[in-house]
Amino acid sequence: MTNQTRRTALKTLAAGTAAATLPLWARYTHAQSAAPIKIGFQQHVTGIGAAYGRWYGRTTQAAATLINETGGINGRPVEIVAEDDGTDPKRGAEVVEKFATQHNCDVGFGTLFSHVVIGSAPRAGELKLPYFVVSEGHHVASGMLNRYTLQPGITDVKSQVQAMAPYVHASLGKKVTMIFPDFAFGHDHRDYFSAAMEAQGGEILAKIAIPPTETSFTKYFPKIPRDTEVLYHVMVGPAVLTFVKELGEFFGPSAPAIFGFIDSLEAVDITSPGLEFLEGSYFWEGNPRYAQADQSEHDAFYRSRVGVDANGASVTDPTDVSTYAHMFGCWETLHVIKAGMEAANYQGPDDRGALIEAVEAMTDMPESREHPQGAKVFNGKTHQVFGHQYISRVEGGRLNVVHTTSIEDTLYPDEVDYTTQPL
Amino acid sequence: MQPRRILKQLQLGLALASAPAAQAHAHASEQSLVLLLPTDIYTGAGVAAVAATVVLLALLPAGAMARLYRPIPLTRLSLKALKPFTSLAAFALLALLVWAGLTGPRDPLSNPLPLFVWTVYWIGFITLQATLGDLWAYLNPWTGPFWLARKLFRPWSYARLPPELGHTLGIIAFLGFAYLLLADPAPSDPDRLARSVATYWLFTFALTLIYGHRWLQRAEGFGLMARAYARLAIFGRWKGKLHAGLPGWQVLHKRPFPLGPSLLIVILLATGSFDGLNETFWWLGLININPLEFPGRSAVVWQSTLGLLASNAALIAVMAVTIALGLRLIGARTGIAQGLRLFAPSILPIALGYHIAHYLPSFLVDGQYALVALSDPFLTGADYLGLGQFYVTTGFFNTTATVRVIFLSQAGAVVAGHILAVMLAHAIAVRDFGTTRGAALSQAPLAAFMIAYTLFGLWLLASPRF
Repeated sequence: MTNQTRRTALKTLAAGTAAATLPLWARYTHAQSAAPIKIGFQQHVTGIGAAYGRWYGRTTQAAATLINETGGINGRPVEIVAEDDGTDPKRGAEVVEKFATQHNCDVGFGTLFSHVVIGSAPRAGELKLPYFVVSEGHHVASGMLNRYTLQPGITDVKSQVQAMAPYVHASLGKKVTMIFPDFAFGHDHRDYFSAAMEAQGGEILAKIAIPPTETSFTKYFPKIPRDTEVLYHVMVGPAVLTFVKELGEFFGPSAPAIFGFIDSLEAVDITSPGLEFLEGSYFWEGNPRYAQADQSEHDAFYRSRVGVDANGASVTDPTDVSTYAHMFGCWETLHVIKAGMEAANYQGPDDRGALIEAVEAMTDMPESREHPQGAKVFNGKTHQVFGHQYISRVEGGRLNVVHTTSIEDTLYPDEVDYTTQPL
Repeated sequence: MQPRRILKQLQLGLALASAPAAQAHAHASEQSLVLLLPTDIYTGAGVAAVAATVVLLALLPAGAMARLYRPIPLTRLSLKALKPFTSLAAFALLALLVWAGLTGPRDPLSNPLPLFVWTVYWIGFITLQATLGDLWAYLNPWTGPFWLARKLFRPWSYARLPPELGHTLGIIAFLGFAYLLLADPAPSDPDRLARSVATYWLFTFALTLIYGHRWLQRAEGFGLMARAYARLAIFGRWKGKLHAGLPGWQVLHKRPFPLGPSLLIVILLATGSFDGLNETFWWLGLININPLEFPGRSAVVWQSTLGLLASNAALIAVMAVTIALGLRLIGARTGIAQGLRLFAPSILPIALGYHIAHYLPSFLVDGQYALVALSDPFLTGADYLGLGQFYVTTGFFNTTATVRVIFLSQAGAVVAGHILAVMLAHAIAVRDFGTTRGAALSQAPLAAFMIAYTLFGLWLLASPRF
């Protein structure tokens, strides 16, 4: 949390007790209660998610500050109660419990890592605490979780991956070789993308699984079939730059088209030495890191509030690259919570069920300050939002968007109807 | 348990086990740039530097070591009289921090208590204690309150702390701290940390009231660690004066530690080494954990605890064998316990080198959070340090140039620690065995161990970690 936001958050608290004396807070006095709406923020402050957690925290504080400046929720200020879950599923469940029983939070929010979501959601369901995750996992829409868990601010990996296939097939090539880490994350990409590519009439020539602890990749590259037109990679972890470098050394100038997910290089400066090979390659981006020529006023506004420059880095340190492709989810989810609470005329924990129903009733979310990443459609049955995806090409050391998918490209048949579960 | 609940648990278990949509957001970090650096060359150079020191020492005249480690007298001035008051101030600060831990923000990077314990004290203070001198003697949070209790009440007689216990209780207390650091699921949680700190303070204070100063001397782990590290410091009191000298001069000139603190020194190094080893892909492979989807500390509590204990047992055994072998080589009649008492302090610089190297990256980040907290200590919206809009940055982990500087600083700390250790061990041997030849021979196994440990330390820094 930054000094600035900490101070702002504090002012929020102080204002709660001194509402009448401050003009800004005078607007809250018409509310039935001036007590803050407490949003429990399950943050990856420590553990393997910490790099993401820092940016999720910064975005969340920026959104909360904005909401408070513009009248709060139902005339009440918002207070973010951040608890560290250590990126640890067991602690995640404990944190959810603390939100409900110790901190008297109205909702829980903000979890990224799938295993923490999966470990925490059952407890949220038992405690009937609305739990808004920002995880992009398919676990919400797959039906694995419960009525109290929703993902209204970020799309899921299944829709992201399948939406890539039409563009890859039409513009990059029909014969694809996939390289992925040999565990669940990589397997999701393998399964979703190969199905979507085959549905387009394309062909997966080879699926090369790399053990998660591997740190040198040259021995795997000869397995790439010679007639490969597109190489699809989703490597992650500390060896990812080594992977990119070795791939570049292996292919030299005669490489096939290369397509990857920005997860590999999220928060990494793509102009780092050794990454020159990325020039000309393609990436999925959840939200374009570099401000584009046709940047919307909403994206500009969002960047300025979070303190991110036109290259996706912190305004105070151009080398501090943000997790731009994902962190908008916190901003948008907080605004969905606000909209849901206002629609349900939320007054307190007794209205939690009404809040769930209000969010389930949402459908279109137009591109706006509240949704700077783009327009979205929420599916109340599966508790999952769907939206545009971006494909960018590395050109001159920056990522330029070359294709924006339609929302229809990201849709798939419902796998669950949470509204049939009791509240 | 209700059948339905069992079913739910079972479903959850299955869900976790299959986790079809698990993601890997463990993003490319500083370590990914380290893996691109020519770390083999750096490692080779570091090991060669330590080996060259060993050779050089064997050629030096015996008197040279004594001259090198002769401290310079500075002043007779003593601030000893201030100790009760500085201690009371430290106690007041600790109480304030515990209160902040219980009532302040839940975020461990905003709450002053975890920032103080893990960044200011554990990284910063320990480094200062080991380089500058025995600051703990002034900042020990028990001595002042104990002094005050004795002033306020009539003197009472203390119970006898069985001498056969030696420093065992202090070592156990330190291992408890090491457990919190390395194996506890949530060492930074402000509430839990506040309770742990308050409980340990009260427990220690109560037993100090019962057993007197002896408790603080022998059974209190933090003091034991602090006094061990202070032996390495540049400044120290000797013969009634403050002296300054090459790190290690106090080891040579002061009476050797008893066996307990000597063992603690080995434990400090073993614990520090495990805190580093436990992040490597090698270790995670050993405990069968996928580093790219690390399941969190709570999933590896037992593995970490056993690893910590095994590391300690292994290093104590290696040290004992190495020292005993060296003593045999020159036919010395010194026993293993005496040998450990003499030579264990020589690895203090290695322990400190690791400490600095291992924590440098987190200090660079958490130090910023501590600065923010210091600028606004009471969460009143103050900005005493004039930071303005201050965003914590980790940008220096993102460029090759800065990562290289950080890596070389870490490697430099490790190598410098080993060079100082080799020198100190040699100086101890020269002092006790008279000749350079005898000293070099007696040191051969320990020196070989230190060269190997340099390799290990640099491998730790350069190997893939999560």
